[in-house]
Amino acid sequence: MNAPFYVEVLARNGEVRHRQRVDALPIRIGQGYDNDFILDDRHTSAHHAIIERNEAGGLEVIDLGSRNGVVHKGKRQARLTIDGNTVFRLGHTNLRVRAADFSVADEMRDTTFHYWEGLPPALTGLALMLSLALMNTWIADTEKAESIHYVTGLVGMLGIGLLWSGGWALANRLFGGQTRFGRHLFIAASGLVVIEIVSLLEALAAYAFSLEIFTRYGSHVAVAIAAGMVYFHLTTINPNSPRRRFAVVCALLFCLGSGMVLVVNFQSRGHLADELYMSELFSPGLRASSGKPVEQFIAESGQLEATVDAERSKVVSDEGEEDDED
Amino acid sequence: MRFQLFLALSLSCVCAAAAAAEEKVQLPAPSSSAQRLYSHAKADIVQLRSLLRNGRTQSSVGSGFLIGTGNLAVTNYHVMSQIALDPDTYVGEYVDTNGKRGEVKLLAVDVLHDLAVVSIDRKGGGFFNVPDQLPQLVQGQYLYSLGNPLDLGFAISEGAYNGIVNRSFYDQLMFTGPINSGMSGGPSVTVDGRVAGVNVSKRLDGELVSFLVPVRFVRDLLKKVAGQKQVPEDFKLVVGQQLLEHQKTMMERLEGTPLTFKELKPYKMPVWESDQVRCWGRSNSSQSKPYSIDQVNCAMESALFVSDRIQTGHISIQHKLLQSSELGVLRFSSLASNSFKNQGGGGHKDTRYTAPKCVEQFVTNEKLPMRAALCVRAYRKFPGLYDFTLHTASTDSGEMSLQSRIETSGVSYQSGLRIARIFLENAGRESKQ
Repeated sequence: MNAPFYVEVLARNGEVRHRQRVDALPIRIGQGYDNDFILDDRHTSAHHAIIERNEAGGLEVIDLGSRNGVVHKGKRQARLTIDGNTVFRLGHTNLRVRAADFSVADEMRDTTFHYWEGLPPALTGLALMLSLALMNTWIADTEKAESIHYVTGLVGMLGIGLLWSGGWALANRLFGGQTRFGRHLFIAASGLVVIEIVSLLEALAAYAFSLEIFTRYGSHVAVAIAAGMVYFHLTTINPNSPRRRFAVVCALLFCLGSGMVLVVNFQSRGHLADELYMSELFSPGLRASSGKPVEQFIAESGQLEATVDAERSKVVSDEGEEDDED
Repeated sequence: MRFQLFLALSLSCVCAAAAAAEEKVQLPAPSSSAQRLYSHAKADIVQLRSLLRNGRTQSSVGSGFLIGTGNLAVTNYHVMSQIALDPDTYVGEYVDTNGKRGEVKLLAVDVLHDLAVVSIDRKGGGFFNVPDQLPQLVQGQYLYSLGNPLDLGFAISEGAYNGIVNRSFYDQLMFTGPINSGMSGGPSVTVDGRVAGVNVSKRLDGELVSFLVPVRFVRDLLKKVAGQKQVPEDFKLVVGQQLLEHQKTMMERLEGTPLTFKELKPYKMPVWESDQVRCWGRSNSSQSKPYSIDQVNCAMESALFVSDRIQTGHISIQHKLLQSSELGVLRFSSLASNSFKNQGGGGHKDTRYTAPKCVEQFVTNEKLPMRAALCVRAYRKFPGLYDFTLHTASTDSGEMSLQSRIETSGVSYQSGLRIARIFLENAGRESKQ
């Protein structure tokens, strides 16, 4: 513990807000201007505490009889032995004192792609989103082409994309100290594009091989991709946190989202699947499975009778009486 | 705008002319036969109400008439349907022309012809009789219809008999006179007081086009009541049996009708076209749209009334041809997929039907490859009855899609499958050239 010493004011998240060099002990701390370290905190006394060397050669904070005292880990202390990692609170101010010989952590490997920050990912994300919106509008716009459809499609996508990425950027600023808006925009755009591509592939696979399961439960894959998107947003905010924690959070999010899809489907339609039957139709060239004879289809339909009858025997409360659709 | 103005003018002219006529010409005396009939009949017509057991507020009203000097009254099934299907919630009550009230007991129903027989605690005066020998009606003959229209009070209205209509599944008489709701179940009589039929319905899209149930079905139901040892405990079972009977007749009738093929170039799709099942075509190809839709819709003109929320015993067929050479393969598949999507749902909480279940597959007959989905739901209250919907889409072209939707309601499982099979086997297209 050698001079000079550095008194640091910390934010609640541990970030250093302000640092002051003090050349010698003792260090007097308080609101008054005759202190070595002046606190701009109405909840501290004019001469609040003093830092001195104790018998063991370490540092010690001594309360000078203030009203709010010196608090460490939620407990008020008259005398507190501190080292370079002890954070104590005077009034509303969190402080830490480090000596010049404090040994800092090893240099971290830099995993950030610095060229992929700011404008490049932002512009790429924007381009991805806009082309996705244009593509979707174009495919769905089977009526007479109207430019207004494209404009509303673009504006809608842009609005949602910017809001979403803006929210993450704000969180990043709060918890990670920087916004990284471009990165978040890129992540959001990529997520949307992946969802779109995967759902198209699912529809194609479902149609080609008559595997209805792909479109029947397609929304769960979309939920999974969205959860993955959140994972990347989280790691962007805090790249140094253990990744496993984020993975667990996202897995939970996926379960929640998936569960909600199932519940909503069951409540509104009486089955867990997203659709009653597959409605995707593509051009005949994309079909890989052959048609069954009518005989076989009718035979399969015959087997449904038992299932439907089993459903019939289930008791229904009269609540459903209101759900009249006719 | 000019047309509307003209119309308004012409209407006002008519009114002025009528007013002028009223001043000059004396009105004819009220039809003496209607006066005489009403005064004789009024003791034997009743209003029938179904009331909520809880609180006894009225939930639906109709009319009825006492047969002979007994305590049996005839009305429509649809007037009594709540009491038949849900006797725990509803109870029947009658009010006669003197304001006397009393309990109504349901004895028999005939869902197919929409008739019911009830007993009440007073006797008839013998005005209305249903003898074995029924009156022969001549087209143009006057009939007088009795009842309590819109719960306003007892009334008699005059109209002409205009023959038997076979558009509905079971024979009905066409009556060109005013019948309003509330008169349902009331009698229509000839000038000499003989019962010709029972008021049942009217066309909402026409003027004074009403329908009567022929009296011979009343006679048959009364005979059944006479032979009936005890009143059925659960009318739901009776209704269910009659619905099964109906679907059998319906299937026989359909299968007796040869299939007609409607051309939606290049496809040839099967339909049944008959007096009961009528077809309408529609096309909406327009310059402003990059695709065209041609449609053939066929539907049975009548359905059986089971309750306010269930109409059944019905079949409808829709063939729809979407085509576009402008849209390109990708956008056309989006259009076709959207059109093939089903709109209906029906949750598991519906008290009438189970949630639908489907079987789906690529199906090929010799002529046409298709995507087919057959969805079935069961009636909760009527065992053995199902609604079937067959959705098919042709899969032979990237620029055309022939989509069909065949809905069959209130049929047995076997009948539903049979109809699906007939359509799947007969859908086709002309050979490609």
